[in-house]
Amino acid sequence: MTEQLYTVASDSETTGEDKSQMSFPDVAIGIDIGTSNCSVAVWTGHQVELLKNTRNQKGMRSYVMFKDDSLSAGVTGGATQEHGHEERDILSGSAIFNMKRLIGRMDTDEVVQASKSLPFLVQTLGIGVRPFIAALVNNMWQSTTPEEVLAIFLLELKALVEMHLKHPVRNAVLTIPVAFSRFQQTRIERACAMAGLHVLRLMPEPTAIALLYAQQQQQLLHDNMGSGIEKIALIFNMGAGYCDAAVAATAGGVSQIRALSGSTVGGEDILQNVMRHLMPDFDSLYAGQTMDRIKSIGLLRMATQDAIHKLATQEHVEINVDLGGGHKVSKILDRGEFEKVNQSIFEKCEGIIKQCLADAKLTPEDINDVILVGGCSRIPKIRSVVLGLCKKDDSYSGIDPLEAAVSGAALEGAIASGVSDPSGSLDLLTIQATPMNLGIRADGGNFAAIIPRNTAVPARRDMLFTTTHDNQTEALIAVYEGEGNQAEDNHLLGYFKITGIPAAAKGTVEINVCMDIDAGNVLRVFAGVVKPQGQAVPPFIEVRMPTLDDGHGWCGQALAKMYGSTLDLATIPKKLHP
Amino acid sequence: MVGFFSLCSSTHYYHLQLRNGSVQYELIRPIKYRPRSIIRCCSTTRGKAREDYYQVLGVTVNSTPQEIKEAYRKLQKRHHPDIAGYKGHDYTLLLNEAYKVLMRNSPRNAGASGRGFTGNGYSCWNGPVRSHALFVDENKCIGCRECVHHAGETFAMDDVLGSAHVEVQFGDQEQKIQVAVESCPVNCIHWVMSEELAVLEFLARPQQKEAHGVFGGGWERPRDVFAAANNFTKRLQREEQQDMARQQRYNNGDACEEGETERQAEARRRAGQELRWKRLRDVWNGLRDWTKPGVDGP
Repeated sequence: MTEQLYTVASDSETTGEDKSQMSFPDVAIGIDIGTSNCSVAVWTGHQVELLKNTRNQKGMRSYVMFKDDSLSAGVTGGATQEHGHEERDILSGSAIFNMKRLIGRMDTDEVVQASKSLPFLVQTLGIGVRPFIAALVNNMWQSTTPEEVLAIFLLELKALVEMHLKHPVRNAVLTIPVAFSRFQQTRIERACAMAGLHVLRLMPEPTAIALLYAQQQQQLLHDNMGSGIEKIALIFNMGAGYCDAAVAATAGGVSQIRALSGSTVGGEDILQNVMRHLMPDFDSLYAGQTMDRIKSIGLLRMATQDAIHKLATQEHVEINVDLGGGHKVSKILDRGEFEKVNQSIFEKCEGIIKQCLADAKLTPEDINDVILVGGCSRIPKIRSVVLGLCKKDDSYSGIDPLEAAVSGAALEGAIASGVSDPSGSLDLLTIQATPMNLGIRADGGNFAAIIPRNTAVPARRDMLFTTTHDNQTEALIAVYEGEGNQAEDNHLLGYFKITGIPAAAKGTVEINVCMDIDAGNVLRVFAGVVKPQGQAVPPFIEVRMPTLDDGHGWCGQALAKMYGSTLDLATIPKKLHP
Repeated sequence: MVGFFSLCSSTHYYHLQLRNGSVQYELIRPIKYRPRSIIRCCSTTRGKAREDYYQVLGVTVNSTPQEIKEAYRKLQKRHHPDIAGYKGHDYTLLLNEAYKVLMRNSPRNAGASGRGFTGNGYSCWNGPVRSHALFVDENKCIGCRECVHHAGETFAMDDVLGSAHVEVQFGDQEQKIQVAVESCPVNCIHWVMSEELAVLEFLARPQQKEAHGVFGGGWERPRDVFAAANNFTKRLQREEQQDMARQQRYNNGDACEEGETERQAEARRRAGQELRWKRLRDVWNGLRDWTKPGVDGP
């Protein structure tokens, strides 16, 4: 059903066609696809409006239900049928959810491994290929992919927006977690293309919130006629799948991202920890996915979820659930126990915030506001951890924790579409920063960062490299992204060869590798020989990254094995250079 | 300076840009843009004089960090690609670079030692950066103007100081430069490594002496600029290490470390790294030994 709507937007070079469609104001919509909930917002000309589905919900559950031949996503919640989907149906194995955690990940990834306890089928081989995902349809596993699921979901979302706006939409701004690799971003773009949406911007979630904060500060300024003093906000966003933090400096409607950090811990991990705590023999009990086990897992999941929600306001909660097959859980879980079970997750959150403050070179005293958003920000322990680290008594209250990201995305959509507002409420700008180091492999498996993380975007940096062998005529440029010191610890984005290097003694040739990120977060890598100069050197190469399509787990290893030593590069030591 | 002007002149290539700000305009960017951008990316980052950065942001040397920030934001709001479209890309790059350099050296951040040192030299580069560069030891220079006579594009005379200096690296053909170097009667023109150039050029300029009331003060420059450069480099490295150690400690965030000196922290960090690597190395060595009896791997 998605086939006829499939357009690869980035490849369409027909620009004339675009103009004919410009009869309506083509403002990009803002979409926040969360791991568990999803929302969409549009700029209506004077403000941001969150759209509601037919069941009057702003936050829609993110899942796609596979049933017989019909597919239905969580946008309408199956309301077109006689009755909507209930949580029990979603957990019956025939719905796919949590696709945001699975998209673009290899089966060696621990996030994919942890997803095996979900009611639908996640099959892994552990060799660095994409996992096999299937939904239960008529007692049969039917295969699908995370991109496909996301595309179906987006298609329904797009239909909802078009119904509301009464004109077709084409452009969208999506929010993504900070921890998303560039490869995962291409997967999101692909899913959007399958749904007929063109991605104008992919915004890290905390930066969308920073933009909303900048707008609020700007309005405050207009009302009070105060001075344009700089305010520094720490934004902590924790949803079901990811957790990110950002430090943003805001003044005069410009929010400047000083530091970003993120991780793949979220509510889902908390949920699984508690499930394992309630059922100590969880893993052995649910090893294979038979019908009764899926049902039993679903019941446990629902009971646990409910308990965690209740623990946000209550000191203790009673769990009483019959899982069938002679298994029963009846327990009183108190907050202390809950916090002990999830100790490691809270420690990780602490680490993210510390890292963010250190990267921004700020102390807790410099922070003016702490903004807590995302579903998990309701957990009292998370609040106390974040506020404690920032030495604040309370968080910023002007922002709705569940609607902030999507509102920010809609604002960015309006700004990037070139909408100007006479009242000045769109007189805003986000100066983004790169969330991860970008560099190439050099010096035998080491990672040489060319654009360090938290560099203001657009960014362009270059670095000189040299050959490692005498008369080396070819060199491999393998581009990686990540935090590790070793290339292998990072994500491989792509690779290419520089050929025809003039024969010379090792260490004399100079190869310049330059990386350029534009405002749309497109990464280009330029490389070529700069010394010796003349007619004998090959022309420069420009490569748009990532070039990898799939299976990037073993690709890097294969490259290292085949060419690691023969086509290696060495960094030219630079003293005292910025 | 060369880089800066080529940048300004290249903006008129973007007249084909679409109005609605969609991403497709990258595809219709003229091909001419690409080779230019490569040349520029080699030449802008190095060798740009600090004054240029001040000009880019439209601030003065005496501006406070607050003023620099405000100027930066104001310009960003006008030129950021989100607002100005793709033609703002190059200018924004320049803004980001200028902001980074100026904020790093703003009075608040600058320590007492690296006063005014930007990491960039004063001379600019003609063409790409090479591994060697020219440097005139201005203490020894007698102001004979021989070098300016032979390679006028490269060398320039400073009439106030009465000595010559390098204005543009490789401004003339190499032959001419060689003649100029050899023509110097006191042999004060040196080939130095490019990465040392910035320090040397910085130290060769007269610097303000610390004054004690009305005594002292004035301007001076080190007698032996090469020795001074060595010391300066070491000091900078030491400071960088201290900075890193400090940051490391901040990351760990432990209160118990407060009694530790920088050096102890450094040693501890090393040891930690050593330990971490040791395990990996053991595994690696084990693997290698294990594979050896079989096929002789490359």
